[in-house]
Amino acid sequence: MMVEIEFDSSWTNEFLERIEKDGPWASWEMYQLALEAAAHLAVPDFNGLQAPKHLPHLTPLPHQLEVAKQVVEKMNGKAILADEVGLGKTIEAGLILKEYMIRGLVKKVLILVPASLVSQWAMELNEKFFIPAVPQKKSYVWEQCDVVVSSIDTAKRSPHRDIIYEQQYDMVIIDEAHKLKNNKTKNYEFVQNLKKKFCLLLTATPIQNRMEEIFHLVSLLKPGHLGNATYFSETYGKGRSLQTDEHLKALVNKVMIRNRRVDTGIEWSKRHVETIIIEFSREERELYDTVQSLKSEEAILNSPFSLITMLREACSSREALFLTTKNMMDKYGEEIPVYFQELIEKINAVTTNSKAEKALELIRRINDKVIIFTEYRATQLYLQWFLQQNGISSVPFRGGFKRGKKDWMKELFKHRAQVLIATEAGGEGINLQFCHHVINYDLPWNPMRLEQRIGRVHRLGQTNDVYIYNFAVKDTVEEHILKLLYEKIRLFERVVGELDDILTKMNVNNFEDYLQDIFFRSRNEREMKIKMENLTTMIEFADQLARSDQYAAR
Amino acid sequence: MQQDDIQHFLKRYFQTNECDIVEDDDGYMTVQLSIELDKELMNRPFYWHYIERTGGVPAPMKLVLITKQNEKTSALNGERLHFGSPRLHQIFQSAQRHGSYIRLYEQTDASVQSSIPLHPWLGLNVKISYQCDRKKDQLLSLGLHLITGTIVKQFHEKLQYLSLIPKIPDYCFTISPIIKPVSGISRLQQYIKQLIERDNHTWAEEAIARWKEDIALLDHFYEEIDEKPECYYIEKEALEEQYKPKITVSVINGGLFYLQPRS
Repeated sequence: MMVEIEFDSSWTNEFLERIEKDGPWASWEMYQLALEAAAHLAVPDFNGLQAPKHLPHLTPLPHQLEVAKQVVEKMNGKAILADEVGLGKTIEAGLILKEYMIRGLVKKVLILVPASLVSQWAMELNEKFFIPAVPQKKSYVWEQCDVVVSSIDTAKRSPHRDIIYEQQYDMVIIDEAHKLKNNKTKNYEFVQNLKKKFCLLLTATPIQNRMEEIFHLVSLLKPGHLGNATYFSETYGKGRSLQTDEHLKALVNKVMIRNRRVDTGIEWSKRHVETIIIEFSREERELYDTVQSLKSEEAILNSPFSLITMLREACSSREALFLTTKNMMDKYGEEIPVYFQELIEKINAVTTNSKAEKALELIRRINDKVIIFTEYRATQLYLQWFLQQNGISSVPFRGGFKRGKKDWMKELFKHRAQVLIATEAGGEGINLQFCHHVINYDLPWNPMRLEQRIGRVHRLGQTNDVYIYNFAVKDTVEEHILKLLYEKIRLFERVVGELDDILTKMNVNNFEDYLQDIFFRSRNEREMKIKMENLTTMIEFADQLARSDQYAAR
Repeated sequence: MQQDDIQHFLKRYFQTNECDIVEDDDGYMTVQLSIELDKELMNRPFYWHYIERTGGVPAPMKLVLITKQNEKTSALNGERLHFGSPRLHQIFQSAQRHGSYIRLYEQTDASVQSSIPLHPWLGLNVKISYQCDRKKDQLLSLGLHLITGTIVKQFHEKLQYLSLIPKIPDYCFTISPIIKPVSGISRLQQYIKQLIERDNHTWAEEAIARWKEDIALLDHFYEEIDEKPECYYIEKEALEEQYKPKITVSVINGGLFYLQPRS
């Protein structure tokens, strides 16, 4: 076996020059130090991981180390990292990247992540891994920096696209790679045409409904691994049997690693869930009933969902309801329907907020950091004012905040304020483990968003038990959603990530629309309850399916 | 590399660069950088440009380097160094940059009566890197007698037992090499090549097998398309870069050593 041998001649040339000029020569000690440094940096073995030696301050979890080792030793540096949410895929990717950089196999790196995560990725790679990653802000960055983090939407656009194609990347890392499941999109095509020597695709939700989606994802990483398109649709497309599925599973597992929470053996802190049912004041009840009575108005019938929204807002704060009502009224111009007048009067009649008072009482009792989640901006503002009136410091948090502002608010919350009032889970990547009390002031109608909220605090590194308080107003849509849906499917007891599997199994595209439909179209409470029961049965069924899949995967 | 080794390494590095070690304690040290080393390590070209242009008094920085976490050092304000830290790697690189080329003479106890001839040797420390989609390095130290052409292994290790100085000692004279340094280098290269060729290269065979496997998959993926799209060729190129086995030999450092003849 003859392998190409390359002698690096750069040393020789300068050596001869120095002989010519009679120096300069190094001291004996410096010469020895240089050799010792080289010996320390040499990689002694093809196998094993060097990275942990370089990162003594980082303590990766056993499953993260195992992933890194497997990708380097068994998967030749091309893999889909598909751990469940919260198991640290970023850490795994960082370890693998570091390993290749230490070994001198990777120098130029392209990291494509959602726009909201660009600076977070760059920061983590710098701080945790000493990898000088740079967020792409100016177009010269592509050429001048070795490790660049960018959003895929920026990267695929001209002029960046062409500059990127000219670079010789040794490694490409793509976060949230499930967005590349459709091979007809521009993003897919962009990534397909990238040269991918080593490549990591990160996703928490690789198991989609459609077999083709997994085919496209794998084909991006390793074209042909699942055969070509014709072969794949013939073998796995129609009338797929368990036999072929088992085979497919084995094939996919060669390029994909998925750790589940249950497999990691990590002790998770406990989660305590408490439902708090709130009674409306007389004025609040009247307001709610007034909104409810609008169901028969023709204008409302044209956009049924706005009624549901208004009902939900009435449960949150009069401020939230007022904002929506006002927007609706503005559309009418001069001829505002009369029922709005009545509505505004009822809103004005409300002087207290029973929920806010309950929240205040609870916050005082907890006497520790608390996160309050609400669906509405108006409620968020009101709560901030209300808490301040009662001598409790709070900071607002919204998904739309720029990264810097998010970090700043998080710091303020950590060091200065008792309460964080958030309208969204804050999207991906903000960790609030230092807090372990969560109040769901009102509930989103999308279980995934609810799960994300919990995931902000109940994640790896949370050492305390986590307390979740769910607010619902008695005899309202809220109570129904909580009692008939979320409690039935034991949503709050489930570990983060589980639900994801279940919902993909169910093939419900828009959960929220579905729920609204149930509430609006049901002629009476009994019908609504039956429909909700059907829904929960469906979820339970999907749950069983997901479980049996898990069993089969072992 | 243990934390003690790091501190020992740093101490020698700063001493040989003529920096004052102000404090040297268990787990940390304080170093007053020389002007040269400040320029080398601290990355503040504007400051030095300014001082030089205005003729100001240069104030090189003082560094506190912490290698161990203990009661005393936790209160210190300094840089914490460990094996992977960028500062240590910068110092490694600096050492390699300034320790690449050498010429030394063996210290002898020669006298007027018996002057001693010193024989020229070419010493090379090389790193052999075996690379495919994985990588391994091997260090090798060789010495070549520039008179007879004898090649000695573990040359650097053997030099450790000698006393070596940068100036030719009194009453000694050097013998001119018969083999010129440039051809000495190619002789050693030839020698290394033979060493490598005699080695077992299953790692490369395995890499080629992996490579072929992936090419076969790729070809299958595009088999129904007569005119292959560009991404087919891009992918193929990527596979070559990923798997193709390659061995690179680079010199870490080396130089000329004038040594007493030994039987």
